[in-house]
Amino acid sequence: MQPATRQEQKVVTRDRLVNAAMALFARNGIAGTTTAEVAKSVRMSHGVVFLHFPTRDELVIAVIDEFGRRLSAEFRQAFERDLGLRAVLQAHLRVLAELEPFYARLVTEAPMLPPKVRSTLMLLHAAVSYELFQALERERKAGRARKIDRALLFNTWIGLVHHYLVNRDLFATGDSVIAEKGDSLVNHFMALVKP
Amino acid sequence: MAEKCPACGSCGMPMEKPEDFALGDVTRPYCRHCTDARGELLPFDKVLETNVRFYVESQGVTPAAADAMARAMLADMPAWRGRH
Repeated sequence: MQPATRQEQKVVTRDRLVNAAMALFARNGIAGTTTAEVAKSVRMSHGVVFLHFPTRDELVIAVIDEFGRRLSAEFRQAFERDLGLRAVLQAHLRVLAELEPFYARLVTEAPMLPPKVRSTLMLLHAAVSYELFQALERERKAGRARKIDRALLFNTWIGLVHHYLVNRDLFATGDSVIAEKGDSLVNHFMALVKP
Repeated sequence: MAEKCPACGSCGMPMEKPEDFALGDVTRPYCRHCTDARGELLPFDKVLETNVRFYVESQGVTPAAADAMARAMLADMPAWRGRH
């Protein structure tokens, strides 16, 4: 169906650019992708990309924001079913699996990215940290988990997951290390937090 | 694409529920963390302090690193763009 208004067309174009950028970042790396290449992959002029995203950083941030929106929606859905820590960990991994090639590139390149982009990722991590800690506290009150420092709880989980993602070629036989190892990572983490 | 929600024009926090907005009013451009009891935008230093604390508590980074990251993030937000 054709978009009815110019504003809707603008949103559709922006979404196409974000999706195209995500695919190219995943394949060629963030530093290894130019906005001209993103434009070419969706057969748009470079000028159109510039109108929506004046710099590549803006485009990278838009892709991270899209990741954040999916994460937030997944957490919300998880909470409607189950408030447990396991459900939060699984919701996190579901989104990571969905965007795994891009996310693996993002965390691999993160230390080299400009502060503004890195800060966007940190904001996302802060949200995951918050959800993990809230879930842990609920488990703790129910006697199913021990007290753990909020930052260390998050860093233990994200350190584990990122190690597998950054080295996914060593840990996975197929395309997705999260699909292959996710359950064992969740089980291991749940065992770690037990009282 | 996932459904989009507005983001705070000061700190970028996604505002999904009415209680995320200043005074619970979904027409407000800023979140409850960046505004005072009257719904007015807090001074830059207060917003920065909240963001720095958020990074430090959530991820255990140093206050100096959190400060640099938070400044980089806030610099491009509509509320603070062009601020020197």
